[in-house]
Amino acid sequence: MSDSIIVRLRRANPVPVADTAPAAELFARITALPGDSRLGASERPRRRHRRAIVLAFVVLAAVVLASTALAISHWLGGELVKSPVTKQEYIAAQKQLTLPPGYSWPTFRFPPDAENSVTTRGAGGGHAVMAAQWSWECYWADAIRTHDAAAAARAHAALNALLAHDTYEAPAGAPEDWTPTPLPTQPFMVFAHDGGLEWTRAGYRLAAAGDATRIAQSCRANVPG
Amino acid sequence: MTATSDRSAAEERFRPVFAHLGAVAAYARRRGSRDADAVAAEVMTIAWRRLSDVPQDDPRPWLYATARNLVRADARRSARVAAHGAEGPGDLAAPPEMPELDPALADALRSLSRLDREALLLVAWEDLTPTQAARSLGINATAFRVRLLRARRRLRARLGNASNMGSHDETTNLDLETT
Repeated sequence: MSDSIIVRLRRANPVPVADTAPAAELFARITALPGDSRLGASERPRRRHRRAIVLAFVVLAAVVLASTALAISHWLGGELVKSPVTKQEYIAAQKQLTLPPGYSWPTFRFPPDAENSVTTRGAGGGHAVMAAQWSWECYWADAIRTHDAAAAARAHAALNALLAHDTYEAPAGAPEDWTPTPLPTQPFMVFAHDGGLEWTRAGYRLAAAGDATRIAQSCRANVPG
Repeated sequence: MTATSDRSAAEERFRPVFAHLGAVAAYARRRGSRDADAVAAEVMTIAWRRLSDVPQDDPRPWLYATARNLVRADARRSARVAAHGAEGPGDLAAPPEMPELDPALADALRSLSRLDREALLLVAWEDLTPTQAARSLGINATAFRVRLLRARRRLRARLGNASNMGSHDETTNLDLETT
């Protein structure tokens, strides 16, 4: 197929050659970070795989027997909720959390099949906590870049408060949908027990010392809105 | 298996992914990122932390998809910051632009939908096959081919008649439908 459009685009490529300069230092820096914990899991003995498969079948059978997500919710004492509840939690959490000046709450978008799905109670609040956290990180990174000490201090205090009051770390080996009991009344987010929370704290310590690298990365990757 | 050997196995697995650093930086630069090297470094950091999600046989579609999200997120953030006056007028951020293009082509590209534009550019600038490009956009290959065909037609229509595109002899055979 002759395609003059593609040819013209190729000729107009503004960066025709990729820079292939070696970046050994960057490689070393990245691989010094915590890696993907799932990779180690794949190396575990086969017996554990078998156990996981059996467990998966049990869970699948339970889901099939329950026949509807709502039934599962009743079985588990109402800890699973449908999307309107999650949305309501998200809206309610906005009244309990603050965003930096100039930021607004991102729209909570459900996937098209959300009507048929359930989520853990508190997930809406967790979504709001994360949105607040990322907004404050962006605000802090900007404050450091523009040497606005007052704004930086405000962001630091807000993020410290979020980590102190609205953040939990799941115990080691806890399931992915672990939630604290009793369920907190304030909105909360849960970190897995994989070093992520300590990584975040370390990023804030760096930012407090004037190094915005990590919070800027987090901001770039997670920017709300 | 020890933690040390786990780590070195992970590093070995990451090395061929990291080899695309330059290509990812070039991708970000082509999509108008103001800090393409930082975006590429961030993409690689994400790839390292989510290494089991990165296809080992062909990581580029995954890497470009991640870079695309970062560039767009950065552009949204810059636009919002600019709108709230947190930066001076010199820093006013625009959505990603096609840098250093002839104005007619840039305008025509900008008139396309984001997905149409990206479909064209993944093939023309990133040298992906339609199958790879489809993977990067999260759509199936057939849908991608249809989209690419329409995008080419739309761009051609925007640019005017075929005489503006150079003579037929200058074209190259691109076997886009069979890859």
